[in-house]
Amino acid sequence: MIAQFVLSALLLGMLGYALIAARRTRFVSTLIGLAALAGLYFVWQPNSANELANWVGIGRGADLVLYVWVVLSMLVGLNLHLRLRTQADQTTRLARALALLEARKASGDETSADR
Amino acid sequence: MSRARNIWVVVPAYNEADVIAGVISRLRAHGYRIVCVDDGSSDDTAVVAERYGADVLVHPFNLGQGAALQTGIDYALLEGADYVCTLDADGQHDADDLPRLIAALDEQGADFAVGSRFLGDAVGMPAGRRVMLGAATMFTRLTTGLALTDTHNGIRAMTRRAAERIQLRQERMAHASEILMQIRSSGLAVVEVPVTVSYTAYSLGKGQTFSSAFRVLADLAAGVLRS
Repeated sequence: MIAQFVLSALLLGMLGYALIAARRTRFVSTLIGLAALAGLYFVWQPNSANELANWVGIGRGADLVLYVWVVLSMLVGLNLHLRLRTQADQTTRLARALALLEARKASGDETSADR
Repeated sequence: MSRARNIWVVVPAYNEADVIAGVISRLRAHGYRIVCVDDGSSDDTAVVAERYGADVLVHPFNLGQGAALQTGIDYALLEGADYVCTLDADGQHDADDLPRLIAALDEQGADFAVGSRFLGDAVGMPAGRRVMLGAATMFTRLTTGLALTDTHNGIRAMTRRAAERIQLRQERMAHASEILMQIRSSGLAVVEVPVTVSYTAYSLGKGQTFSSAFRVLADLAAGVLRS
């Protein structure tokens, strides 16, 4: 029972993360949310996990939950990666604005001597 | 009396101090305005480019060629460009091809003119590079539906209208595919023009590798997920 509460707390936290992140990356956040809901269901309905696991050929419900957890972790990783890229995008815009502000007009010393 | 056309050439450069003077001098001979975007070089690229007649923008750190191109395009538009051209800084492109790219825009009413080394000439191109570019062209044809022969060529010309519609978000090399995707989605008309690309030991040393192709694919996939 303790494990169920601990896992539920973690999965609820994951669900909250998905809701918060939904504004930035809707697709990945939806996947994370669905995976967290599935995790919660299996934590409290382990027999369903066994039945589903047998149906998909995994064997034990515990293994299925573990796999769901691994997938969840990978999705969170992907989401973080995308957020990092968004931040990189913002950094680029900032650097561009700085470059445009400090534009250096051509002196053309060498060229004017050539022409 | 009609005013002279304001033609700008964007030259993104990263550690090109050894060759940038020649590139800019050849462009100046055509009377173009030039903006060199120094993408965080650690050498004297910016100093040399300025000395030889280019306006210079300096990224405070290296962001990638796509980011440098967008910075240059933004600057050219701010300066009132009627046409914006792009060209690599490593000397592999021939400035003499630019008038034909611009003429293609005028004569064919296109928004975009892209250079094709496969319709023109690819001097000294290694076989491995030919295979890699062929695969990239096939990929871009499939994803954009544009029937082009050379999708990753840095020499291009575009009208002001087209330049205003392009907004590159791919900082690194995936920008070449991204430009074509944006051309497609914006309904801009594109033509291909034969050009000459000359490979030298220097340009090959700075060019793309097979692993770069996978990085481009990953960047494009991440771009789709982000949007």
